[in-house]
Amino acid sequence: MNRDEIRELAAGYALGGLDGDDRARFEALLRAGDQEAAAELSDFEATLMGLAAESTEAPPPGVKAAVMARVAAEARAKPREAPARPAPARAAPRRSWWPAAWAAAMAAGIAAIVVGLSVSATYEKRVEGLAREAAGLRAELGRQQAMVALIRDPATQIVALAGLEEAPSARARMIWNAPAGGLFIAAGLPAAPAGKTYQLWAIAGKNAPVSAGVFEVDARGTGSLRVLPLAGVDKVDVFAVTLEPAGGLPAPSGKMYLAGKS
Amino acid sequence: MAGSDYVVTPPAGTPPDDAALLITCMAQGDREAFSRFYDIFAGTAFGLIRRVLRDPSTAEEVLQEVFWQVWQEAPNYDARRGSPVAWVLMRAKARAIDKLRSIRRRERTFVMPVDETVARQDDATVENPGVAAEERGLVHGALARLPHAQRRVIELAFFEGLTQTEIAARLGAPLGTVKTRARLAMERLRDALKGADGRG
Repeated sequence: MNRDEIRELAAGYALGGLDGDDRARFEALLRAGDQEAAAELSDFEATLMGLAAESTEAPPPGVKAAVMARVAAEARAKPREAPARPAPARAAPRRSWWPAAWAAAMAAGIAAIVVGLSVSATYEKRVEGLAREAAGLRAELGRQQAMVALIRDPATQIVALAGLEEAPSARARMIWNAPAGGLFIAAGLPAAPAGKTYQLWAIAGKNAPVSAGVFEVDARGTGSLRVLPLAGVDKVDVFAVTLEPAGGLPAPSGKMYLAGKS
Repeated sequence: MAGSDYVVTPPAGTPPDDAALLITCMAQGDREAFSRFYDIFAGTAFGLIRRVLRDPSTAEEVLQEVFWQVWQEAPNYDARRGSPVAWVLMRAKARAIDKLRSIRRRERTFVMPVDETVARQDDATVENPGVAAEERGLVHGALARLPHAQRRVIELAFFEGLTQTEIAARLGAPLGTVKTRARLAMERLRDALKGADGRG
């Protein structure tokens, strides 16, 4: 193969336009380590790069934005690892400021993580508070719904209790439903003395009074008590309130303050 | 490659060593380095792509693909195998030609004229980027100084991705003539570009 032939192939190869047979011939030359073929090829390749670089045209800014966005998205998905191959020697001495830039970027990343953690701690506290508040509201709603259900029930009776000699101006209501229990609300009672408490009793016929629980009154003399269903009691004739030692007693012992017949 | 004879000065005047350094940083995931690399080479790459593909939005799409590829292949860059500008332009050219070929496959019914007579009729269409480039005033410098017949061979091969057999069919010339024209054109271009570089 003469020099012109080699150049011809090199030119065609560099242009990317060699057909099958010619390409195979030239590639065989390159594989065989033909110095001339390799030199001509690199010479022509450089020529074409020079030719390509002769005309530049500024692309619209949107293209760069799109590429940078794609790169940023990839960085979020899988951060790039340091290359296994060492950097070219000629570049090494001039890299000094890049590690600093990296350190700054890492510091920014760590700062972002710290801020993120503190923000998340704040939100966790807030969520806890909201959960507690919600639990409280649910409990209150449950109580309200139970009361509404109680009042709506035709079997529910409302018993008025009047103040007796010890507290003539006291008044009370017992909203009572034997299977469901009831709600007792009192007003106008004097404050219970130290070591004493008011106790509510349910009396059926000639049976001994059954304790329905003890309750406190506030400074205005009002108090309330949620009464659970009373075992063995389905019909109550009288509700009464007495003053008893703190904690209450199994049977009334003190003076009666309120009483009402159902 | 013996590219040292053909140092292509990037628009921003950045020395090639700095471009290689930028690629090293890109390999480590440095997006700022990539941004600078783009600024230096996008215009050159886009100029080449636009000579192959006339449609601006297609050319922009290819440019985006080229730089995405450059970003991904940065860890594999080997300075011994080519300058950064050649590294980018090789990819730009390959991608643009691939795109042109896929467009041709889709529109084969009214392209691939069999001789120069038909080709001339096509000059005004999408399918003759060489002429399109000429119309846009892009053909200048070393290429513009080639004899017309030689320039056509370079344009058809380099900017349109035709093989020598296809060029011969397109021009209605013997294959041997096409090969010779390609060699003569390349030698002239090499001398012209070396001369322009002031170091030949």
